[in-house]
Amino acid sequence: MWIINERGEQVFAQGQSAWAAAAQQANLCPAFKADDEDEWVADQAISCYNCAYRRWTQDSFVCCKPSLRDKSSA
Amino acid sequence: MHILISIDDTDEMKRDGIEVRGTGELAGMIAARIEERGWGRCEPVTRHQLLVHPDIPYTSHNSAMCFAAHIAAHRLQDITALAGDFLWAESAPGSDPGLCIVVPERVLMPGWLMSFAFMAKNVVLTKDEAYELAGALGIHLSEHGGTGDGVIGAMAGAGLRFSGNDGRFRGKLKFKSADNTLTVREICSRTIVEQVKSIKDGRVLDWEERVLLGEGPKAVLMNGLAVMLVESCTGDESCWWQTCSKSQVKAY
Repeated sequence: MWIINERGEQVFAQGQSAWAAAAQQANLCPAFKADDEDEWVADQAISCYNCAYRRWTQDSFVCCKPSLRDKSSA
Repeated sequence: MHILISIDDTDEMKRDGIEVRGTGELAGMIAARIEERGWGRCEPVTRHQLLVHPDIPYTSHNSAMCFAAHIAAHRLQDITALAGDFLWAESAPGSDPGLCIVVPERVLMPGWLMSFAFMAKNVVLTKDEAYELAGALGIHLSEHGGTGDGVIGAMAGAGLRFSGNDGRFRGKLKFKSADNTLTVREICSRTIVEQVKSIKDGRVLDWEERVLLGEGPKAVLMNGLAVMLVESCTGDESCWWQTCSKSQVKAY
């Protein structure tokens, strides 16, 4: 479901139209945070595609959620 | 006087526990301040998608926000100052905000502006190119923090709004209907929507045609109008049409 790119970023491997998979991943993710509704593109409210921590790329998106390590040291 | 106010690159990635206002919200706040001061009447904000590319330092989606305002000509300088000061004060730390203000009636080569704008959806453009064009067309372009790279997207946003054929209107369309259906006439009289069109073939629906209302439909900018897109209805024989979903209008 995820791959690591050359910058060490976590990239969604399914592209920009895998609606069910993106919803499934968001439902499993404790860091999910809805972006502004104007930036939503998925019909399922809880979807990585609607998350404030996703950064779109040309083919998919990078997950920029804060890591558990960052949270514990904050 | 009719003007276009466009901003870009005012936000940064949301951090845990910290709320960051989106560029659309800031655009709406500038519009509200113009109206509160009695300086003009503002139209709804539109969101314009620009190129997503590794060479562009966007935050998460690279979209610009723009709105039109109808103002008294002598308020143009006040509004330019208000918008600029607002971006300095309210943009997120680490962002690169840009402001563009266009007076459409004074743009003698509108095709140049629209070409720049549509190129920004497909090609990496530079600040120098934005400033060169702004100078040639007499367009206000200013930086309000960081690298100021947001001027590129701000001018693109203004050009796309100027074209009348790009972007989605900010905010959900809100309706009240007992059976969750309304006629086109009712939709147009109760919301910003000016026309309802079939997404399949672009046919404009008649006033009395009835539409089943889905979750949070959006209006898009087409031929200078706020257009609600609909598709053939499935499963409800009392309606021929239903509103398009977010995934269907994401390309606009």
